Amino acid sequence: MLSISSIFRGRAARQTASQDDAYYTAGQFALIKARFMKKTAGLVAGFVLLLMLLMGLFAPFFSPVDPGIDGADESYRRGAPQAVYFWDQNGFSWRPFTYTYVKDQPKTDFAALLQGGGGLAALDKLTSSGALNASSQNKYTVHEDQRRYLQFFVRGWEYSILSIDTLGIDIRWDRHLVGVEQGMIHLMGTDEDGKDVFSRTLHAIWVTISIAIVALIVKLFSSLLVGGVSGYFGGRVDAVLMSITEAVRVIPPIPIYLACAVALAQIDLTPTQRYFAIAVVIGALDFATLGRRLRTHILVERTQDYVLAAQLSGASHMRVIWRHLVPSFGSYIIVDTLINFPYVILAETSLSFLGLGLTEPVNSLGVLLQKAQDPDIQQNMVWQFFPVAVFVALVMAFVFVGDALRDAADPYSERNK
Amino acid sequence: MINFFSETWLLWLLLLTGGSLFWASRNSQYFHYVFNRFLMALVALLSVSIIVFSLMEVLPGDCAEKWIAYKSTQGEMITQADIDAERARMGLDQPLPVRWGEWVTGLTLKGDLGFSCSKRQSVNLALGDRFWLSFMFCIAGLVLAYVIAVPFGILSAYVLNKPWVDHNPQHGSLKRLLNTLGLGLAKISDVMLRIVSYLGLALPNFLLALTIILLYVFAGEPTPTGLFSDEWRSEPWFNESGFQWGKLNDFLGHIWLPIFVIGWAATALQLQTVRALVVDESSKLYVDAARARGVDGLSLWAKYPVRHSISPLFNSVGFDFQRVFNDLPIVALVIGLTDAAALLIEALAMTNDQELAAAILFLVALVVISMNFITDIVLAAVDPRVRKSVMGG
Amino acid sequence: MMALNPMTPLLDIQDLTIDFRTDEGLVRAVNNVNLKLHAGEVMGLVGESGSGKSATAKAIMRLHPGNALIRQPSRIQLHNGKQPVNVLGLSGRNLRMVRGGLVSMIFQEPMASFAPAIPIGEQIVETICIHLGHDRKEARRIGIELFERVGIPLPEKRFDQYVFELSGGMRQRAMIATALATRPKLLIADEPTTALDVTIQAQVLELMMELREQMGMSILFITHDLGVIGKVADNVSVMRQGKVVEAGAADRVLYQPQHSYTRRLLDALPHIHSLPQPPAQTPAPIVSIDNLSIDYQLAGSGRKGESFSAVRDISLDLPQGQIIGLVGESGSGKTSLGKAILGATPMSQGQVRFHTEAPFTLKAGAKIKRRQVASVAQMVFQDPYSSLNPRLTVRDIIAEPLEAMGLTGSRQETDARVIEVAKRCHLNVDHLRRFPHAFSGGQRQRISIARALICNPQFLVADESVAALDVSIQAEILGLLKELKREYGLTILFISHDLSVIANLCDHVVVMKHGELVEQGSVRKIFTAPEQAYTRRLISAIPLLDQARLDAQVKQQVRA
Repeated sequence: MLSISSIFRGRAARQTASQDDAYYTAGQFALIKARFMKKTAGLVAGFVLLLMLLMGLFAPFFSPVDPGIDGADESYRRGAPQAVYFWDQNGFSWRPFTYTYVKDQPKTDFAALLQGGGGLAALDKLTSSGALNASSQNKYTVHEDQRRYLQFFVRGWEYSILSIDTLGIDIRWDRHLVGVEQGMIHLMGTDEDGKDVFSRTLHAIWVTISIAIVALIVKLFSSLLVGGVSGYFGGRVDAVLMSITEAVRVIPPIPIYLACAVALAQIDLTPTQRYFAIAVVIGALDFATLGRRLRTHILVERTQDYVLAAQLSGASHMRVIWRHLVPSFGSYIIVDTLINFPYVILAETSLSFLGLGLTEPVNSLGVLLQKAQDPDIQQNMVWQFFPVAVFVALVMAFVFVGDALRDAADPYSERNK
Repeated sequence: MINFFSETWLLWLLLLTGGSLFWASRNSQYFHYVFNRFLMALVALLSVSIIVFSLMEVLPGDCAEKWIAYKSTQGEMITQADIDAERARMGLDQPLPVRWGEWVTGLTLKGDLGFSCSKRQSVNLALGDRFWLSFMFCIAGLVLAYVIAVPFGILSAYVLNKPWVDHNPQHGSLKRLLNTLGLGLAKISDVMLRIVSYLGLALPNFLLALTIILLYVFAGEPTPTGLFSDEWRSEPWFNESGFQWGKLNDFLGHIWLPIFVIGWAATALQLQTVRALVVDESSKLYVDAARARGVDGLSLWAKYPVRHSISPLFNSVGFDFQRVFNDLPIVALVIGLTDAAALLIEALAMTNDQELAAAILFLVALVVISMNFITDIVLAAVDPRVRKSVMGG
Repeated sequence: MMALNPMTPLLDIQDLTIDFRTDEGLVRAVNNVNLKLHAGEVMGLVGESGSGKSATAKAIMRLHPGNALIRQPSRIQLHNGKQPVNVLGLSGRNLRMVRGGLVSMIFQEPMASFAPAIPIGEQIVETICIHLGHDRKEARRIGIELFERVGIPLPEKRFDQYVFELSGGMRQRAMIATALATRPKLLIADEPTTALDVTIQAQVLELMMELREQMGMSILFITHDLGVIGKVADNVSVMRQGKVVEAGAADRVLYQPQHSYTRRLLDALPHIHSLPQPPAQTPAPIVSIDNLSIDYQLAGSGRKGESFSAVRDISLDLPQGQIIGLVGESGSGKTSLGKAILGATPMSQGQVRFHTEAPFTLKAGAKIKRRQVASVAQMVFQDPYSSLNPRLTVRDIIAEPLEAMGLTGSRQETDARVIEVAKRCHLNVDHLRRFPHAFSGGQRQRISIARALICNPQFLVADESVAALDVSIQAEILGLLKELKREYGLTILFISHDLSVIANLCDHVVVMKHGELVEQGSVRKIFTAPEQAYTRRLISAIPLLDQARLDAQVKQQVRA
């Protein structure tokens, strides 16, 4: 008994020793990671975020329907979401299924129109019968006796997983996670062209995020340039740059984005160029806050003893900058970038919302959000609010992850150890 | 003579303020600082005007084209020569710096903000009271944000390091139960507020506005868009029977929506700021020292961490205003307001009215810079910590 | 007020055990501590950082942080004049009566313990109003009287000033006035003089003892400095790692210590009688400083041209192979001088000549050849935390000078050299892969020394290099520096405000005041026969134990 417990104790001691060593030889990022792992809210949000990013990145695989106009379901325009069941009054099935939804053809009684002599009176009658009303166009019938079973890894339209034009690489595939026996499945309904809302949303996630990534990279460069030059050179350069930054900081940014977007609208651009141009504009004009912070950071870090120690060790300016100063704000920049993700996404959506960013038929969250303005959609196609929900969830996930990461990277907690 | 002064009144006002500040700064360190800040504010305004003015150059078209285009719709035949002549008449053929110089001179001499092409009147007239309307919206939104964020941010900071359950073995069981209930209540309200504040950060204003309008649509009520409902729109504030209370009532029933919408996001941000500030202050040694002197409870919190967090909070009012105004245009568009923010979006995105847009942006920057100036000099007068850092003790 | 029965203690701590909840689980900070303090008595509580002395003191005021758990059956009994009460069970009004009424506290940093945006007087008035029930006018009168009593000049004016407008000594006096405002029975003083210069420390200690006589209160005096304890305490408790390892009358503990830890602490104190004789002939200088001046431009004053002269016209020879102590109070310009010698602070006048194998000179206004300096002279910093880049491993930190100057051969050669130096500084070579955060302050300082040594310098500037360390760790680092001097013939300029450290380490001492050189000479001469009045004041202000009795104790130990 005694010996057994002593063995356990020995092992436990050895384990903590190796754990200690792992902690002690852990670099800055490993420490941040370890601290992040302790934050439940951040972890859950991180998981959700990762899932959404993954679904966005491999949107074609996860989408049951082609989101483009090619994949539009002509016979199911303005269609309601099609629910998935395991069970109904006809019994239980291991395979999930959905019913067959048939759109009611608007019974435009052209014969009656003709009979009425084709006059205005007949046309009035037709209009007042409600056959042309938006709400009546949404009518559909569910054939509950006609089950359509879901299939997995089905063959569908062909898409490219990875394509790099310059290298001539283009890996194509045609499998999709979910499909249905006959026709298409519209988990979140369709829009007025018959395009699948669910698939469009998945594709939009990645478009929006990639804009944000480009914008943040541009922002990083402009901030580094302004903050770095200002902080390192100091003196007159610093004074001039900072007064410009100060002036930029007091002007509200969204009107400025607007002006730039209007200017861009004049230039004839392909959708891709336009997309990058907007990202660059958003990123390039947003240097004030981060630039100022980097400057302060450099000014503070420059007076730390370890920088003086490096200088007294005979290190050159370049060595001090690259080996000591730049790594000192590496983690800071990453955290700040993550925290700024939601704001950049919001900027993009605001522009698209005003019709000045991306426009139909591009799938971006801003474009999809813009539709929520339409009274027709507000009243008759509530399912088109699905992108709104996805958008809020995405931004929330970013905010939570960013917050947890900021806490984890807080230099003070490291100091107190 | 009177004419000359009325033409250049703003310049004299500025010179007078600067001069008296300079006079006062000769033997007062405080006014020396105020004078410096005044100069810095003027420099900042000048750079803002340069930025705004050159930015407006990227907007397509110019006033001459628009004026001529308008004429052409009236059935006149237009040639390129006509456009050029019009340009020369408006002074648009001058290079950018010259036009900027004229604009700035007009502005500093008599507060002339320029000429709006699309409205075909001076910007001052076109704006009228609308800028003040926007200004009041933002201020009301900010006030709303502070009213909610300050008490709840403090509460949130207060419960941050408190446990859910009172564990103190030295307390009696009844006391422990009561304490636990109190703590639980505070904690739950903190968690709920934080969720609300995260939602406020994640949900863009225009979506919030849309959602609220949608709720009205579902409820079958008339939506509170615009400033007045149709029946009151053309009524005057005063009629034979005195002040029209019904109009005021209707007005209030409409303006809460934009104020609430722009206030919410600001609340979310302020809540986090207040919380961080108070948490930061409450962990300082002087709070413990005050506790050790027997100060406790509400008076401790009010006098020490909270009082010391006020100045940094107050310091950011200018930029808070900027942030709120930033959101206002899109909200104004969704709600159908007719204030300066809506005018700004119209000028930028629809009519490409450069001078109008530049003037509005400049006015916003002017408000922000003046607020920063005022908070700076007030804080330097009131808060000894600030006084020490800006004037060296 | 009823007199206390001399047999019932004023403060009686029984079995106090405190755990802290941390990320790594529960940590025991205070372990079963028992203390008794009688009325009118001064109890010294001695220990190094992490010994639990502050946690114990805070528990008396119930000021322990939220993550502290006080275990049963801990009791802290305070006699309130009528009956003993257990502080741990108090709340509301009763707790308020204890805090500030029955017990007052003086903190180590007076600057941080006054609220910055409230006038000092207001904070005193507040305390008086709470505890004595006077109106504000009366409270103000009492406060100003107290200010006068603790020796603050212009008390009326100072009363309405803010904490940062007062000098360090004045702040601590104001703190004492605040603590005494309610005439407490017990005063807890948590390192009250540690942050002060030695002359001010002596004044403050004197004031505290005077006021204790007048008011007849008890003091719980927390410090790491046994010299201070010798001046003030009747009884002493020595704490280490949460436990009391030795307790008893001050005389007994200081001159006949039982526990090895107490003895180690005592060894760190200066033994003036055993200071070394100076060598007959002063060695040739390795560094000569000629007419060096340093001026700083004052920033933020708003007006141009104002400058502050940190060092004024100093000429000095630093003899080879000696440890030279550079002593001065805060603001004396000693750090500026040390940095200027290495070319880290620009001189405004004068020059520094290095008499090394390849002699060179640093001149005011001339460009500094960093590498030339770096290969012969290095620096060890004060703060062991900010002087090591947290993003590099220890191996990379130590190898930095080699790599920065391009002196590296292959990676193996560098590694071998790093291991050699690390061993020399008694670092565990298995830990070279670790990051600085894994090390304690003392070990970090060893890393810092190893980095300085890697290029075989001949001259080292150590700027307050042990000031942030505990006494026993200080002794280890000082031992290492002496070893290095012996083995490599290293010349070390050791900058410090702490005369005890200087006395234990240096051969030669230079005294500075307000940027000027006051006196220099061998350590024995400076400590036993100082010539200048300022030096005499400085030396007499060191809280020393009775040298004769200490000598006797040392002899006794040797015999045993």
